[in-house]
Amino acid sequence: MEKISLPPRADQREAETGFTFAEMHGEPYWDETSAYRFTLEEIETRIEDPATELHAMCREAVDRITASDELMERMGIPPGFHDMVAQSWRNGEPELYGRMDLAYDGTDAKLLEYNADTPTSLYEAASFQWQWLEDQIAAGVLPEGADQFNRIHEALAERFAELFAPNTDLHFAAAGGNAEDYATVEAMAWAAREGGMGAHYTDLEKIGLTEEGQFSDAEDRVIGTLFKLYPWEDIFHDEFGAAIGPSGCRFIEPPWKALVSNKAILPVLWEMFEGHPNLLPAFFLDDVGGALRDGSPSVPLFDRARDALKSHVVKPIFSREGSSIDIIENGRPLEVATDRGYDNQPKIVQAYAPLPVFDGFRPVLGAWVVGPTCVGLGIREDRARITQDLSRFKPHFIEG
Amino acid sequence: MRKRSATVALTLMGAAFVLSGCKEDQTEAASFPDLASCRAQADQGSLAFTAEDCEAAFAQAQADHQETAPRYDALAVCEEQHGAGNCEQQAQQGGGFSFMPLLAGMMIGQMLSGGRGFMSQPLVNTANGRYATPGGAQVASNSGRGAMNTAAFNKAPTTAGRPPMTQADVMRRGGFGASGAARSSFGG
Repeated sequence: MEKISLPPRADQREAETGFTFAEMHGEPYWDETSAYRFTLEEIETRIEDPATELHAMCREAVDRITASDELMERMGIPPGFHDMVAQSWRNGEPELYGRMDLAYDGTDAKLLEYNADTPTSLYEAASFQWQWLEDQIAAGVLPEGADQFNRIHEALAERFAELFAPNTDLHFAAAGGNAEDYATVEAMAWAAREGGMGAHYTDLEKIGLTEEGQFSDAEDRVIGTLFKLYPWEDIFHDEFGAAIGPSGCRFIEPPWKALVSNKAILPVLWEMFEGHPNLLPAFFLDDVGGALRDGSPSVPLFDRARDALKSHVVKPIFSREGSSIDIIENGRPLEVATDRGYDNQPKIVQAYAPLPVFDGFRPVLGAWVVGPTCVGLGIREDRARITQDLSRFKPHFIEG
Repeated sequence: MRKRSATVALTLMGAAFVLSGCKEDQTEAASFPDLASCRAQADQGSLAFTAEDCEAAFAQAQADHQETAPRYDALAVCEEQHGAGNCEQQAQQGGGFSFMPLLAGMMIGQMLSGGRGFMSQPLVNTANGRYATPGGAQVASNSGRGAMNTAAFNKAPTTAGRPPMTQADVMRRGGFGASGAARSSFGG
């Protein structure tokens, strides 16, 4: 992986495509004055294959977790929803998509976390960076043979066609008034249409519950299948959470994704696959907090990881966009998130894998998974060690 | 083998949804607060239908209102759905009382099969200051004109003689989103 400076396209095409958040909070969000270059072998052996394998490992972990009320409790699933989550897994409700965040410095990529429930930046990854590549090849800035690891859109369309009968009506919901979330939902709807589905939008807040206990959209149409860009851990605490079971509505992602899009899966993965090259040692903070602080003896699994954990990251199990995350290096805080919105949650500790630095920015790789397979890559970079919602999206290309 | 899609969807701005699904049949429709206003406009010749059409449509809307308008077991439940002062008490068939919204006008539209057929639906107030048919189709005004889906003229199920709705039966909205309301984005 290397970072290459390239001439940007004249207009960055934002106006033309309706990309409304290329600047966020006054900072450039999409930045194409440089791009990351990978070799094909690197993409396939360091990102694609490992991410597909990690997804399969997550599925094994879900199988274990759903068999244990105690683990479900540790994962922050309210007792009233254990059955729904476990049942969705046992019924084989299929997954649609997710994004793994990987730390990659040219050796083994390390799984930082897996946003397997509500990942955003789909449009930037699947479409906008794709157009950038096509434009740059056409302009002669990149060679004819340049490529990109980005089958995201096609793979989503194929997945929809695989999961649903032709012309099935699907509803897509996002919180009203958020351009970034809406863009992800709309990019998803395009893929659904390409897969032969009917796509309908409703603001999340306008979803209703009919007399018959079915969910309905803003225009009172019954919702048969709902893609919701809204996390399960919030749904569990919403008024309508209890109505999901009787509603007969099919949800994308399925409820069991609450276990995958959950930092508490990281210690479960480490326990199941200790030493896996793409995993970082991880533990529930409650289990090892004392041993971390004062070096007191702990379980052998922890003792074997003690050295690796000298520098570690403390994460709430349901944190998003860097909120309430602390990095501790040799016992001292190295970087502490300013947004503390998730401090009241159970936490995990994970060995610290520093992101590489390119021109003062730290890229984190987003490995996009559709169904069970890794199909694409999107990169965000940040000056800070904790990648937050103000990070910049960077295009990538494959050459060599 | 190429590692990227052959094509992608490039434009945003709502087109993914607007163009999707089947386009429903539409008809020119007009709404009136009462029979007199319909007749007045018909007499001016500004409508595709006559004063007689107004009378027939209004009579049908009144009958449909009696038969299909929502009925509630309490004034408070009715007013929560239709606004304060917009409900009346009605004797239930077989004894007792229920509460139903007052007729607030009607909607009339031309049948698509052609000819001189018209269809109509009663309108009642909604809590948010709009108007709705018993079937739930909403319009912004009870004195307006515009294209409507023909499905908006479908007659709603009968409520007359059926048990009135309780608070628990009333359709609810807004049950998703509260837990995440503090955040601007739900993605990550």
